[in-house]
Amino acid sequence: MELYTPVVALAVLAAGFAVFSIVMSVLTGPRRYNRAKLDSYECGIEPTPQPMGGGRFPVKYFITAMLFIIFDIEIVFLFPWAVAFDSMGLFGLIEMVVFIATLFVVYAYVWRRGGLEWD
Amino acid sequence: MDALLIAQGVSRFTAPALDYHALAPEIILTGVLVVVLVLDLFLDETQKYLLPTVAGTGVLLAFVPVLTLALTGDDLRPMFDGAYVSDNFALVLKGLFLLTGYVVILMSNRYIEEGDYHVGEYYFLLLSSLLGMVVMASSRDLITIFVALELLSIPAYLLAGWRKRDLKSNEASLKYYLLGVLASGVMLYGMSLVFGATGTTVLIRIQERLAEIEGGQLDNVVTVGIFFIIVGFAFKVSAVPFHFWAPDTYEGAPTPITAYLSVASKTAGFVALLQLVFVGFLGQPDVWRPLFWFLAAITMTVGNLIALRQTNIVRMLAYSSVAQAGYILVPFAVAGENAEALQSAQTAAIVYLIVYAAMNLGAFSVILAVARKTRSGEITSFGGLFQYAPGLTVVMSIFLFSLAGIPPVAGWFAKFVVFRAALDAGTTWSIVLAIIAGLNSVVALFYYSNIARQMWMMPVPDGDRTPIRVPAALGIALGLCVLVVALGVYPEPFARLGDLASLVP
Repeated sequence: MELYTPVVALAVLAAGFAVFSIVMSVLTGPRRYNRAKLDSYECGIEPTPQPMGGGRFPVKYFITAMLFIIFDIEIVFLFPWAVAFDSMGLFGLIEMVVFIATLFVVYAYVWRRGGLEWD
Repeated sequence: MDALLIAQGVSRFTAPALDYHALAPEIILTGVLVVVLVLDLFLDETQKYLLPTVAGTGVLLAFVPVLTLALTGDDLRPMFDGAYVSDNFALVLKGLFLLTGYVVILMSNRYIEEGDYHVGEYYFLLLSSLLGMVVMASSRDLITIFVALELLSIPAYLLAGWRKRDLKSNEASLKYYLLGVLASGVMLYGMSLVFGATGTTVLIRIQERLAEIEGGQLDNVVTVGIFFIIVGFAFKVSAVPFHFWAPDTYEGAPTPITAYLSVASKTAGFVALLQLVFVGFLGQPDVWRPLFWFLAAITMTVGNLIALRQTNIVRMLAYSSVAQAGYILVPFAVAGENAEALQSAQTAAIVYLIVYAAMNLGAFSVILAVARKTRSGEITSFGGLFQYAPGLTVVMSIFLFSLAGIPPVAGWFAKFVVFRAALDAGTTWSIVLAIIAGLNSVVALFYYSNIARQMWMMPVPDGDRTPIRVPAALGIALGLCVLVVALGVYPEPFARLGDLASLVP
């Protein structure tokens, strides 16, 4: 059981740090009004205005982004294979063909289901 | 300079030796799920009934190499430097996963089509998740275990929300997803600590390295690492206090998926734990034994006590499956006191997993069949079932008595091996845990027999006595489960499978 002393100690330290940080910032932090501080946080850029029609984005953006990720990852794998093509030889070629064929099934699925049509 | 280094690095590349026979179940399953997805694109609505047939046949096809591998008998087939192993342990559990998957496909057969859901995608995701479990049974490496876990979990998050116009189903999916991801994060943190301390991800090397560095200054890192990994899997197997997602997810998900999550997904979590504890962290029982003791005791007790108060049968079975997870955790809590206890703990865990799969899938099949008529999940909707569906009543009673652990059905034998494991260990702690498990079995009898009482003795709530028509596929699923559970009168095969699937040398 004494093995768990560090686990408990770590938990107490972590919780203590969180409470300490919050309490100290409430006690000592200055509270000056600044509009930018109260804006919603969008990775440091100016927040974009609300989109049309009740704050909803068309789902098409989401599908496009997902598709981009899938084929982006394909490139990530293709690139090192292309660099090491000679040394990986026939084994590498077959593995890549299997990989690309699997991704092609995804492509066929998206195409057939209408994921590539914008309207 | 960089290019030169890369060139030197890859010049040493040698193609890994692949054992295609050992990989055949995974390859067939991958092929079938691709076929299901493509077929769905080109079938019209009237032909979609073919998809479950293709999926089910594919799962049975993947079962064939499991049998041939078992018959060839040359046990250990390691690949990728020991990271992926096909041995008896893997084969027994792959067989269990594939049959569980087959039964779930049979259960889904009508349910999904009648609900106007996306049929093709449903079976595609189910097979993907099943593939993750089959891979899990062979994973002997932290990274492979993690990939297998994500492969089995991510489709399951989607499947839990399959009735997408139902708010409860959305809730089920969201809760399962958020807590599942949190658990993965905790587990990954633990894995990174173990990797940091040992410098390897292969479980058997971790075992060697941990023995070397034991007593050094890395002990604390290893302890925290193992602790976090086990906590991550405790979420997956819905052990208390990490069980909060289970009842809501089980209630909201489509019933076949509830059966799938409560059986297959939970088994996969236990399989990972077995591999981690009995291979990777075998030399560190002082770290995991107290943790498992605590988890087992509190999981059984809390699961059973809350199950007593449930009025919805799916929620009741959800808490019952939490409690059952507690029983399966008992062998972990008592393992490693001596060589014999280690062996019997492992046998007990595997036997319990096999029996639990059959009896829980069976109980859910009956619920599916009855709900086709009553359209209700309340326990009172089972009132007077014997008067219009005597067959289903008898079968359900068998499953309930098996879950409660009453002889001579299989659930009794599963409990028996768990108690034997606790007594083999023979320490005060293990005896105390056995007593807690015994007391819990008595508590569990109350709520299981309450359903039996409803079915046999209560009047039919709305007086509607039209018989229930059980679809053929569901009938086959029920038949398979009854067969396994009835095997409890001759439990030799379970014990054989459990002994065969030994990870301990």
